[in-house]
Amino acid sequence: MIWAFLFAFCSTVGFSILFHVPKKHIASAGLVGGLGWLTYTYFIASGSGSVLACFAGSCIVAIISDLFSRAFKDAATIFVIPGILPLVPGAGMYYTMLAILEGDIEKTASTGTETILMAGSIAVALLVVASVTKLLAQTGRKLLTYFRR
Amino acid sequence: MINQMQKKVLILALRAGELMMKSGAEIYRVEDTITRICKACKIPYVEVFATPTGIFLSLDEGSEDSDMHTFIKRIKGSSIDLEKISQINHFSREFTSTDLSIDAGLSILKNIAGSRPYPFLLRVFGAALVSSFFALIFQGTIKDFFCAFFAGACSYALSVLLDKIETNLFIRGFCCCAAASLIALSLFSMGLGSNLNSVIIGSIMIFLPGVALTNGVRDTLAGDMVSGSSKGIEAVIIAVSIASGVGVAIKLWTLLGGVF
Repeated sequence: MIWAFLFAFCSTVGFSILFHVPKKHIASAGLVGGLGWLTYTYFIASGSGSVLACFAGSCIVAIISDLFSRAFKDAATIFVIPGILPLVPGAGMYYTMLAILEGDIEKTASTGTETILMAGSIAVALLVVASVTKLLAQTGRKLLTYFRR
Repeated sequence: MINQMQKKVLILALRAGELMMKSGAEIYRVEDTITRICKACKIPYVEVFATPTGIFLSLDEGSEDSDMHTFIKRIKGSSIDLEKISQINHFSREFTSTDLSIDAGLSILKNIAGSRPYPFLLRVFGAALVSSFFALIFQGTIKDFFCAFFAGACSYALSVLLDKIETNLFIRGFCCCAAASLIALSLFSMGLGSNLNSVIIGSIMIFLPGVALTNGVRDTLAGDMVSGSSKGIEAVIIAVSIASGVGVAIKLWTLLGGVF
């Protein structure tokens, strides 16, 4: 588990270098990626399917990125883009391609569907977290102005 | 006739928007930045419509005898540069909250536009880090770690080279992933790796369309359907190019008598 976190941390740092994340944010971007992948492995280890695990991991990435963007007063994109990349199903794509090469239609369909669903779950997780945080921030601001009056 | 002040504001706002769009910002952030800059220069009527390939901007001073002016900025090519997004974010905040002159703003923007990404060798090292640690994540051994390190570095250097000669994104994804898997296959046949799958997965991780996917979702959520769907298509095309690159490379390898 600790190894999984460490590996994901290092590869997210690699992505941060590729995408020119500002130097002071590289470590926190790595932390976001590591925690997202840790959540994914935890869910896989506790017997959930990979789609659900991917969803949970992406949720964690989106939530922590949002917190960091508020804490550092910077765009959330800086943390989300490198952080989400370990969860993008590259392995699924590769195994789907292998199944196509072997001519195994059933395997192609099953791994391909899983890959597409994983990518979709990342998208849905980002959507859900962004909507909820927006709602929370708006109601928070309204309450604040209400109490000040 | 457009007056000089308006023209400078237009140039400043469009320049900031263009830089952000090229660095991979979301649509709402670009539109918001342009609107803020124009409003800070006391232009009451601003309408901006941004898509990944162009920005449309109309403004009007609002007085009796003023005309409305519309400008279009075509945006070509893009590369992800999160530092630029962060800097322009800070710039627009500073520009709106303090009374910075327009000329000073233009010179700051010129500085931001001139900032380079990390040096080439460091980026190659970053790509190598990504692929080698992903090989470890996918049950690779320490031997695979070094194979993936090499394959990732080579394929990333190839992608920079292909960017220089301006190939389109399909060809780039295809060539880089084919090269990565050929390198992995040949290293494997020399007996240097122990788990071929982990090496190939690690080295294609660099080219995955994660940015297009996340930004597409964020654009769709903000109501920018045009750019949301176009980024979705971009993600699909990149994914297809990666898969076909790997597939063609493996097929060629087996046809030429290599062991798989």
